[in-house]
Amino acid sequence: MNETSPLLLIGVGGAGAAIARGVNRASGEGLRYVLADSDASTGGATDPFILLGGDRLSGHGSGGDVAQARLAAEDSRASFDDVIEGVRLAVIVACLGGGVGSGATLAIARHLRERGVPTLVFATLPFTFEGEERRRSADGVTAAIASESSASVFLPLDKLVGDVDVMDEALRRAVDTLASGITLFWRLLAKPGYIRLDTEHIRRIIAKAGNGRFAVVTTQGPDRSVEAVDALARSQLLASGTSPVRSILCGVLAGEDLRLSEIGKIADGVRATFGERCSFDLGTVNDEATFSGRISVVLLLFESNGTPDEEDNSGQTARGKRAHKSRNPLAQGPQGRGRFNNVEPTVWRNEDLDTPTFIRRNVTLDI
Amino acid sequence: MTNIYAALEIGTTRTVLAVGEAKTGERLRVTCHAEIPSTGVRKSQILDISQATQSIRSVLRAVEKKQSETTGDSLTIGNAFLVVSGQHVKADPYQGTAQVEGAKVGTNDINEAIRSSRLMALPRDRELLDIVEQAYGLDDLGGIASPKGMSGRVLKLDTLQIHADKNRIDNARTAAGEAHLEIRDPLFAATCAAEVVLRPGDKRNGALVLDLGGGSTGWAVYADGYLVTANAIGVGGDHVTNDIAYAFQTTQAQAEALKREEACAVVGGDKSAGPRANLPGSSPLMEARTISRRALDTVVNLRCKEIFTIIRNDLEDRDLLHRLNAGVFLTGGGAALKGIDSLARRELGMPVRIGTPTEVDGLETEPHSESFAAIAGALLYAHRNYEEKSFIKSLLGGFFK
Repeated sequence: MNETSPLLLIGVGGAGAAIARGVNRASGEGLRYVLADSDASTGGATDPFILLGGDRLSGHGSGGDVAQARLAAEDSRASFDDVIEGVRLAVIVACLGGGVGSGATLAIARHLRERGVPTLVFATLPFTFEGEERRRSADGVTAAIASESSASVFLPLDKLVGDVDVMDEALRRAVDTLASGITLFWRLLAKPGYIRLDTEHIRRIIAKAGNGRFAVVTTQGPDRSVEAVDALARSQLLASGTSPVRSILCGVLAGEDLRLSEIGKIADGVRATFGERCSFDLGTVNDEATFSGRISVVLLLFESNGTPDEEDNSGQTARGKRAHKSRNPLAQGPQGRGRFNNVEPTVWRNEDLDTPTFIRRNVTLDI
Repeated sequence: MTNIYAALEIGTTRTVLAVGEAKTGERLRVTCHAEIPSTGVRKSQILDISQATQSIRSVLRAVEKKQSETTGDSLTIGNAFLVVSGQHVKADPYQGTAQVEGAKVGTNDINEAIRSSRLMALPRDRELLDIVEQAYGLDDLGGIASPKGMSGRVLKLDTLQIHADKNRIDNARTAAGEAHLEIRDPLFAATCAAEVVLRPGDKRNGALVLDLGGGSTGWAVYADGYLVTANAIGVGGDHVTNDIAYAFQTTQAQAEALKREEACAVVGGDKSAGPRANLPGSSPLMEARTISRRALDTVVNLRCKEIFTIIRNDLEDRDLLHRLNAGVFLTGGGAALKGIDSLARRELGMPVRIGTPTEVDGLETEPHSESFAAIAGALLYAHRNYEEKSFIKSLLGGFFK
């Protein structure tokens, strides 16, 4: 493990740890990571591991109790202080629905925020077949995680995996899919190619990115760049947002045969599909051994870019919203937060409740 | 012996101080209260301690003056219970357990279960507001009110631990301390309000107390006679005001006046009002004008409906909606908004009434006594829980100087 890397991957809970291990295996040396769980058996012989709430739960796990898991993670904050030394950007990966996934992820994200470490959370939402209780456990924390992290991506497992009948197979495929997606994202940061996305630049993007969507596609053949854009446009994972996209982070991973015209087609296609006027950052990775003949595109769409006047880039700005923006002579601040401009936002189900409700609902007022 | 208590609430829109007194075993009477507009507070958080201190000093002076005018006695308030609200307040369940020593549950077993239920350690940045005992369980049997004499092996006691962000409470302590007022226990606004608006029968039948504050909305849910859960979200009447200010390009003061005097939470719900609402000018540059009442009601309706949706979802998630047979009791300043009870009835799908503080005396002539429910509840809570020792503690704490 590279203990000097400015990037840290944290796998939270049993499933989060499995994904982080998968990323580590695929990334080879250079990945700085740590696993965290209240169940001592999650920590392997060689993986760096934080036992959450050792005194409280004695390493036996939280038994699905979200409150206990959160408290266990809060007990172990000092252990996180030890591993975040020098970290400029942290990525947390977790599967929500269980005790640690839901409870500890929130506490860890909050702690990193308090320590000034920008954090991107990748969290899966349970399969439908996992039942109502796990869905509630996950739904109950998504808004809080979103508010405690710099950027968050919630991935419904049903959409991530598609139609799979066998439960074990579905779970395994979910872990593999997410691990490979995050691995590609990681390589983009750790092994940049012609077009570089350095850590500090990514850090600045993530620090103000808000709610996100994430997808990875891989194509090959003569029209691989066009097919990649088509696949992204059809991706259910990218279609799930409720707010317009304001920032795009795009990574293109390919072998030595990557052509500049392909990069141009992907950049133009992605911008045309997801937002012409939002901020756009692109990076490449050239790895002949892994991607020979293939091209993988990693796409992160964020609903905030931190600019003071966030306009709807989709060209479908509500009439009411536009009218209010142009007529309002009072300094109300971004999206009408007004007197709540300088206080911690109240977030519920990924919506900033400090923004007037009629704005968020795109209601036109005949005043 | 007469016990005297004081309670302080540093709210987003107003700072309130109230004094109550009761003889042992008698009903509590709110003898004096005063409120002044708050400054330096947003979403129930103190952002400017010196401004908050100034508000506390002013309200202290107002209460002491009022009390001396009313009773002729000179009173200097040295300490007060603190009413706390805001999204940082959380409630977590925690279960205490005890191995039953004999064949049947005895007093020692119950004491051990109670002791065990108090072992939950909070993180350093949280402060405990209350531990509420809910019900006992014996092996697989739950919902037991009094387990003494029952047969079983493992006795359990379910509790609800209400806690809040320590820093925010400490900020209130600091602000009050600067005004020479010592803060005694902090108490959650919604559960305080429940103390004075719910009767025992309401708690048994299932009731939701919804405290509509300026910076946040808190709620407490009772069923089977005890507090089942409590929660809060950082959205309140201040958000309604902000939405109005943004929609109609007014100052916050104008928006506040529109909310109080013109708006209705149900669109078109005020049948006696005309189609246009008056907006007085705020300065020579901003002349008086009229605005569409329908648009005003729409802005308010959307915000209030959203707050009720959040609460409804929380209750649904906890499977509590069907247990609230006594209905909803609205308290706090937001309960004075026109049409709010009708909208709550529609959105929550159950009977709704304005929560009048019937369990204390002294607020009968107050036109909007529901807005004093939380602070009156804090006084009643103090009376019920600190009755015998409060007088001595008050003397030591300098209640009378």
